Amino acid sequence: MTGFGDRILGLGLMVLAVAYGWVAQQWPEPFGGAETVGPETFPTILAVVLVAGGIYLMIKPDPDAQWPLGKSALELVVSLLVLVVYAMLLEPLGFVISTTLAVGALSWRMGANPRSAFVTGLISAVVVFVLFNYGLSLNLPAGLMEVH
Amino acid sequence: METLGFLMDGFAVALTPYNLMFALFGAFAGTLIGCMPGLGPANGVAILIPLAFTLGLPPETAMILLTSVYAGAMYGGRISSILLNIPGDEPAMMTCLDGYPMARKGRAADALAISAIASFSGGLIGTVGLIMLAPVLAKFALSFGPAEYFALFLLAFATLGGITGKNPMKTVIAATLGIMISTVGIDISTGTQRYTFGVLELYEGIDFILAIVGLFAISELLFFVESRMGHGREKVSVGKLTLSFRELVSTIPTQLRGGVLGFISGVLPGAGASLGSFISYTLEKQVLGRKGRFGEGDIRGVVAPEAGNNGASSGALVPMLTLGVPGSGTTAVLLAMLISLNITPGPLMFTQNADIVWGVIAALLIGNVLLLLLNIPLVGVFVRLLSVPPMYLLPIVTMVAFVGIYSISNSTFDLYFMVAFGIAGYFLRKLEIPVVPIILGLLLGPEMEKNLGHALVLSDGDWSILWASTLAKSFWLVAGLSLVLPYLVGPLLRRRMNAAMKESPVSD
Repeated sequence: MTGFGDRILGLGLMVLAVAYGWVAQQWPEPFGGAETVGPETFPTILAVVLVAGGIYLMIKPDPDAQWPLGKSALELVVSLLVLVVYAMLLEPLGFVISTTLAVGALSWRMGANPRSAFVTGLISAVVVFVLFNYGLSLNLPAGLMEVH
Repeated sequence: METLGFLMDGFAVALTPYNLMFALFGAFAGTLIGCMPGLGPANGVAILIPLAFTLGLPPETAMILLTSVYAGAMYGGRISSILLNIPGDEPAMMTCLDGYPMARKGRAADALAISAIASFSGGLIGTVGLIMLAPVLAKFALSFGPAEYFALFLLAFATLGGITGKNPMKTVIAATLGIMISTVGIDISTGTQRYTFGVLELYEGIDFILAIVGLFAISELLFFVESRMGHGREKVSVGKLTLSFRELVSTIPTQLRGGVLGFISGVLPGAGASLGSFISYTLEKQVLGRKGRFGEGDIRGVVAPEAGNNGASSGALVPMLTLGVPGSGTTAVLLAMLISLNITPGPLMFTQNADIVWGVIAALLIGNVLLLLLNIPLVGVFVRLLSVPPMYLLPIVTMVAFVGIYSISNSTFDLYFMVAFGIAGYFLRKLEIPVVPIILGLLLGPEMEKNLGHALVLSDGDWSILWASTLAKSFWLVAGLSLVLPYLVGPLLRRRMNAAMKESPVSD
């Protein structure tokens, strides 16, 4: 079936819109009595618009995009994992080490040979760290390399 | 005359060594960003916003930096169009038509030089237009009431897709999603907690800067990973400059026409820089007719679109500065910067923050001169950087985005949020939901709600006030038209643009 992506998106948007609109109706009336425009008015309008948009997409979907399968999809997941792990390790490991690993891993997965990838990572990490910490006096986490 | 005085004050702001340094840096960085395929101007400005923040730049300096990047990116877009036949950004598409054939004939250096000059005169014409038009429009906009503003915001969303846009309904959906995200947090007027689910980090709402960086930069990285374009392209040689003075003079009429047309299409909502360069190229072809050899490396075929798109980029600043309603992705990102600097864009900015507005305008003029000076001698440097493969470049750009976001709040929570926005951006872009309306929705959502509230308080709850005045009516009408027109005119225009692309003999 063509337009599968858009139909699912349309359905998802509709569910989102209904949930969003329903939550808006649950808020207590603000202190001082209800006005014409309360906190729920605008969200309610938005929910209605989005429901309409979702229905439209389900009735008239565009042709499907080319979705990555197999290896490309795996590469995408790997890159995302690298980003998440980077965010996780930034503070405990410190900026230089985690950045070397993250930039190196990303450029390696994008096709560079591992050695030049990690060298690029190390150089860019050191340059940015020095620039930020000494040039601009902003504190990036030093982590393991912290001098006590 | 009043304007001239303000402009002089603006120069006084922009010409301080500190600001000049940032203008120069911005122009250089912007050109780099523009010439790398996949890193458009909106993207570049978005990544630099957190940096401008963490540096603690004063507002006028931050704005000067970002507008210089913006102008620089418009210059940079042409480099890869000419050398590689791949537009660095969308508006530079038309430059491929004659620029690449010129490069193939061994006149790459000439094409680069003349397009830099054309960019300069386009930018100059656009900025002069901005200086003349903006104060007038700002004065006019002072008469807008809340109902007019509400309708104007709708108009901005409706026209954002542009008349060449594919599916206006998707623009509407994107804008709605953006506004919905903007409602998260504590409601300003009543103090009600909306969609916070008790999460402390959500009380202040979602910071649009991390949304912007996630939606642009992170999703771009994902697209690159998917398309495996990591290896970049072979190196191109530029050759010697053989441009004669006579040739340069012969293109002056083309430069003027291109610049003016570009400016007009930049100001008009929904037209934008891409259409600006397209229109000026087509007009040039019509005017010169058989006399030109368009598509085979005619020098005027390089001049027209470049003058057009740089004129348009200055023109696009007019609605952003005077009404607070940006007409393009990049100006939306600039607006984000203004809002986060606590400056309310719109007509009042011209009186309350005159130094910033005029400083920025003066910086545009200075930036154009700097860019011309940078672009002619340094073109070799940019070309060399063009051959840095994205597999090294994009991870570094992503890292800079991480650093920028992290240094705003020093919390990793924001980083996860940014990655989440990146994933969402990837899926939405895959499904052809444009990201720019989401960002505009995030920015304008609170203003829209505030104006709706004010209008209804004024009318005592009568909803018809929203379309009571003639001005508001006409905004609604144009908004409606721009949602309907793409269905009627869009396919035709797109076909013509594609046809123009195919006519070029080297469309590989």
